[in-house]
Amino acid sequence: MPNPLIAIWDYLKEISGENAYDKYLAIHTATHPDKSPMTRGEFYRARQDEKYANPGSRCP
Amino acid sequence: MNRAGSLAIWVGVAVVGAICWGMLALSRGETVNAAWLLFAALASYAIAYRFYARFIQRKVLETDDSRATPAERLNNGQDFEPMDRRVLFGHHFAAIAGAGPLVGPVLAAQMGYLPGTIWIIVGVILAGAVQDMTTLFFSMRRNGKTLGQMAREEIGPIGGVAALIAVLSIMVILLAVLALVVVNALAQSPWGTFSIAMTIPIALLMGVYLRFLRPGRVLEVSLIGVGLLILAIVGGGWISESSPYGPAWTFGANAVAIALIAYGFIASVLPVWVLLAPRDYLSTFMKVGTILLLAIGIALTLPAMEMPKATEFAFNGEGPVFAGALFPFVFITIACGALSGFHSLIASGTTPKLIQKESQIRFIGYGAMLMESFVAVMAIIAATTLDPGVYFAMNANPSLLGDTAQSASQAVNGFGFQVDPQTLTQTAQNVGEDSIIGRTGGAPTLAVGMAQIFSGVIGGTVLQAFWYHFAIMFEALFILTTVDAGTRVGRFMIQDLLGNVVPAFRNASWLPGNLVASGLIVAGWGYFLIAGVNDPLGGINQLFPLFGIANQLLAAVALTVGTTILIKMGKLRYAWVTALPLLWDAAVTLTASYQKIFSANPSLGFFAQRTEAQKSLQAGEVNDVMSALGAQSLEDVRQVMTNTTVDGVLSIIFAVAIIVVIADAARVWIGVMRSGARPEDLSEAPYEESRLDSDGREVETREPVGAGS
Repeated sequence: MPNPLIAIWDYLKEISGENAYDKYLAIHTATHPDKSPMTRGEFYRARQDEKYANPGSRCP
Repeated sequence: MNRAGSLAIWVGVAVVGAICWGMLALSRGETVNAAWLLFAALASYAIAYRFYARFIQRKVLETDDSRATPAERLNNGQDFEPMDRRVLFGHHFAAIAGAGPLVGPVLAAQMGYLPGTIWIIVGVILAGAVQDMTTLFFSMRRNGKTLGQMAREEIGPIGGVAALIAVLSIMVILLAVLALVVVNALAQSPWGTFSIAMTIPIALLMGVYLRFLRPGRVLEVSLIGVGLLILAIVGGGWISESSPYGPAWTFGANAVAIALIAYGFIASVLPVWVLLAPRDYLSTFMKVGTILLLAIGIALTLPAMEMPKATEFAFNGEGPVFAGALFPFVFITIACGALSGFHSLIASGTTPKLIQKESQIRFIGYGAMLMESFVAVMAIIAATTLDPGVYFAMNANPSLLGDTAQSASQAVNGFGFQVDPQTLTQTAQNVGEDSIIGRTGGAPTLAVGMAQIFSGVIGGTVLQAFWYHFAIMFEALFILTTVDAGTRVGRFMIQDLLGNVVPAFRNASWLPGNLVASGLIVAGWGYFLIAGVNDPLGGINQLFPLFGIANQLLAAVALTVGTTILIKMGKLRYAWVTALPLLWDAAVTLTASYQKIFSANPSLGFFAQRTEAQKSLQAGEVNDVMSALGAQSLEDVRQVMTNTTVDGVLSIIFAVAIIVVIADAARVWIGVMRSGARPEDLSEAPYEESRLDSDGREVETREPVGAGS
């Protein structure tokens, strides 16, 4: 049986986007092994700018 | 599980629900325990989710899991990307749950706990969650188009323009009302002001950390941020008691309002990573954490509800918190948690681009809204477990309450409730404030309720002041995040509008355009905020109904779009699923608008107030009607004159917009009914076979494309 604490931690990492770079890296190396990937800093800065290029409305 | 077992369970849930509802409705005299309310809500949600939401998903919308969603078809790793349903549920819930479900129910508690509770639970099941789920589905079938785009395409340009006006004006009123809630919580409160002010340096620190020091370490930085927030709350307690700093951090309402307006402008102009992004993380974690804490607190303490089932204000419409009778004003005041038009903006646009499988709209759209409704139920519990006398002393129009505990106690007696001055002073002292009188807006009331519940679990009266400011902090934090984000959204809308005339405005990074548009949107809500702070008739009393009407107007747009699409899909016999909530919503909104515009009763109608103010000005003295409403000088009367004119004109605009949208849509409905529905008229994206399973994994063998089910 999986440890519930680890499951919660994994969920938090997933929902907060903390593991997004690892996922990006895996896909990048699989699809473009010839090009060098973005660094962690570049990746998150680009992602943040993208996300807020169109800031969604939030409910009151 | 076998059929009989499942049947037995659902019969059991139904019986538990029925017993709880019976206890709530039939109890006489003695106070009722909150547990009945909790279980009535949970049983109703479970039945609605299992049966009604499933009916909508299978029969009405006919979701098709063999059909690829936009997330799969247009996957670009950015805005389109299949996301795990549990993760997406979290994101969607965080976007729809804000201060709304906490504030509205507290204000509506003046009518007793039952009217609000019934509307929150029945409303979410039949209207609110239906709106969220159907909008999510229709937007998903259209590659994530926004509500405005769908209104334009499915109804026509007139409906589209009315929808745009609705969105922009709701934004302005919404930001003003939310900011007013914060102002009322922070004015004359050094503790609150200090701890909220500290969130700015904390956000700055987190922003730099996240962008440059340790990019992307979101959990780490959020933990640091929450730790610093707790320190800021504790520090606020020291500040408020120390002699030079306490008075230095004590500001009047106008000073706090101006600070908020300046903050809103600066935050909108700066890049997002400086304030908005870190605030987003911080407020999301605080929000979810506090909601969990509240649920645990209520479950452990099981408080009794002190407020009557229904007060006389439900029927005579003379409530001191806001004027107007149960119908339509409970349904206006409680928007988030029951039916909130704002959600349709989130359910169209962002979330539909991330859904993996069509059938998941039930869990994400309907489910997340049920959860928000549950938050509203907890808010009404927290507010009604307070002593009703304390409740009214906190929430009535401050100018009727006077400045002292003595005068407030007398005023509360006048409303038909008892509270002695000592209780008011003691309650204020327990939560670390000088006074709690006339702290309107809902947030402080909820904070006192939450502090009493939390301190029942941990800390006793010693920690009550901490818990109170913890609750204020969390409400203010996510209200400020909404103000931050809302100002930016409004700024982009204005830049887009002005871009039609001067194309340079379209470029979001063009600094002059940024400054002008930010200035315009901030001036818009800033105007209403300052007017609300200084309104002699009580800013919340006057503005909250406008906010409610605007929000429900947006819901009417979403439900109209939904009904139109259902009819066009050839689903006329199921169109009642969205048409009945629309009918109800239109009846509520239009009745409320009618009363706000035409009522001859000066405590209710804007223009009746205006006429009395005019009479006063002509006579050169404050007449009885004006002074009974709270105006004390001719200066006050002049202010009433201006405010009621603006509010009245806005009410007219809202009412006209809703009539235009529905009339324009009715034209489309009749046309379709006459010529028969042709599915090719729908602007849905064409069918493509899905290659993912329900967990988002690629399916091995690929069936021939076009083999629709």
